[in-house]
Amino acid sequence: MNDMRQRIASCFRNVFPGLGEDEIARASTASLAAWDSAAHVTLLFSIEEEFGLELELTDFDDLVSYALILNFVEEKSGGLVEEHSGNG
Amino acid sequence: MTLNEALKIINARKGTGEQKPHFLVCGFEPLNLATLLRAHLLQRLPDDDVDVSAGLYGDLTGNLELAMSSAAIAAAVVIEWADIDPRMGLRSAGGWSNSAKADILAATPRRYAHLETLIARLGARMPVVIVPPSLPLPPFGATIRGQASLIELELESQLASFLVQAGRAAGVRVLPRQLMPELMPNGSGLDPRGEFLAGCPHTIACSNGIAETVTACLWQTAPKKGLITDLDNTLWAGIVGELGVAGVSWHQELRTQAHGLYQQMLGHLASSGVLLGVASKNEISAVEAALARNDLLMDATALFPVCASWGPKSESVARILRVWNIGASDVVFVDDSAMELEEVRQSFPGITCIEFPQKDAGKLWKVLGELRDLFGKPTFTHEDTLRQASIRAASHLQEAGGGQASAEFLRSLAGTVNVQWTMDADDKRALDLINKTNQFNLNGRRINEGEWRRLLAESGAVVAVVSYRDKFGPLGRIAVLAGIRSGNEVQISHWVMSCRAFSRMIEHHTLDVLFGMPGVEVIEFSFQATERNQPLQTFLRAAGMVANGEGVIRLPRTSYMQGRTELPHQVSETTEGLNGPR
Repeated sequence: MNDMRQRIASCFRNVFPGLGEDEIARASTASLAAWDSAAHVTLLFSIEEEFGLELELTDFDDLVSYALILNFVEEKSGGLVEEHSGNG
Repeated sequence: MTLNEALKIINARKGTGEQKPHFLVCGFEPLNLATLLRAHLLQRLPDDDVDVSAGLYGDLTGNLELAMSSAAIAAAVVIEWADIDPRMGLRSAGGWSNSAKADILAATPRRYAHLETLIARLGARMPVVIVPPSLPLPPFGATIRGQASLIELELESQLASFLVQAGRAAGVRVLPRQLMPELMPNGSGLDPRGEFLAGCPHTIACSNGIAETVTACLWQTAPKKGLITDLDNTLWAGIVGELGVAGVSWHQELRTQAHGLYQQMLGHLASSGVLLGVASKNEISAVEAALARNDLLMDATALFPVCASWGPKSESVARILRVWNIGASDVVFVDDSAMELEEVRQSFPGITCIEFPQKDAGKLWKVLGELRDLFGKPTFTHEDTLRQASIRAASHLQEAGGGQASAEFLRSLAGTVNVQWTMDADDKRALDLINKTNQFNLNGRRINEGEWRRLLAESGAVVAVVSYRDKFGPLGRIAVLAGIRSGNEVQISHWVMSCRAFSRMIEHHTLDVLFGMPGVEVIEFSFQATERNQPLQTFLRAAGMVANGEGVIRLPRTSYMQGRTELPHQVSETTEGLNGPR
């Protein structure tokens, strides 16, 4: 679980360099000025790549905050990631 | 490179080094491509800060205009079918009716003609790489996908004609279409979802392939200058000392065609101006006899010098490098023996060693491709064809002069030095010399085409391209001097001379011509010592200029005149371009 949060945070830092841990946890399209449409697509491509996921078009409309992205990734790949982090 | 890796590279390097702005010209949204291109450029230019600008969505021609007026030093023009006609993109609602397709075909030539004009104008300002469409045409053919439809063939034909014309323009390079499948590791490079979502039509893998290839094409490594080849089991199959001259082969019917292909590659390299030498463990008489065979698939006179002995190969390599007067790092050594390659590598750590794979046709094909990349260059100049002949001439000159370059001997050469004052940015020879000369080089600074064009456009720019010929033949254009004239001073930022032209006092003549410019009282040299510019430093010391470390060296006319000696050659000057410096 922690590993997943770190990996998602790493994607956030790649797209929004300089963002602190707390800011990442609270980040959303509404709260973060730098999170514009281009950054949104890049961030979700980055998440896809990191977790080997393939998002659908509607996911791009829905995933508009760190919390929603975390929930989504947990749901999609939680078992695999849990297993890795649990053994680690 | 993945997207996340690219983002990490960019974040780690932001704001460090000299700004090297690039322009990515395209009609789609280059979100991933711009990121990956910037990351690849940062890796290729580790001391610089690279910025990649892009223009507006859906406006390829407008973005070409933007690039022209930008501060970019290089540009990539990435074209997709939708840029030729929006109806060939996924976001269009223009329809694929027969009349629409006929209209697309009819309108395309005008579109290409417009693009060609704009790209030629951009190429006149900065180096440009064109990436032809990497994505598939829409499925509007009336045939199955396994059969090309006529409209697809027609569109491919129009594209090919456009690329030929565009590629002829100065400063323009074209990525080969046959490379496109290699840019798409998972089949198609099309990402329909990215296109629908953001107008970003390439997969990340495809974007990475384009970015990597564009970077390699824009910022090409300096080509090697010479190739030293082994003979037995390399230039030919068999050992000439054992099988005799008639026993060695390079023929399809004897299954030794690998060597025939290699000979043809060497012949091609020779005609491109690459120096070829031979290092062989053999009797020289046997080697000479074998090289005299009239069925050889290359001109054996291109091999010079031919060193055959029973000593270590490194000794032969050392001798060849002396004759060529170039460093080991400019040379490729090809031999079938791993042991011989290692022996040479240990003596010359900078040399590029390639094992000749005589039994593995697949590896041979890769080696031939590797040789193309090692010696390939963006443009081919007349001087490239003169290099071999002038190396021979230099060898004759050394023999005739006994290693001495007395004024009396030099006068006997009946040499003529021509100084061409030029502002022709399309003449690639000057830039080529600046970027590949190491020994007689004022400061070792390399510049790209965009920077060169800017230097030429500066007020007071002075560029002299020096050529030389004597009774041994022409050396072609072998030296370049560039700088800025300001009042009675000339500040020289670049001065290079090919090592082929050493020992002829051409550099003295060049300085003399500079002081011959009316009103010039002081010449300043932007000098910097490098690991390899000892010949330049020796000249500066001989001319009374102190050259220690880094900095500007000033040479007043009075000091120059005090040390001036009588020079051996005739000198002529020509002027080219409207803004001649004199």
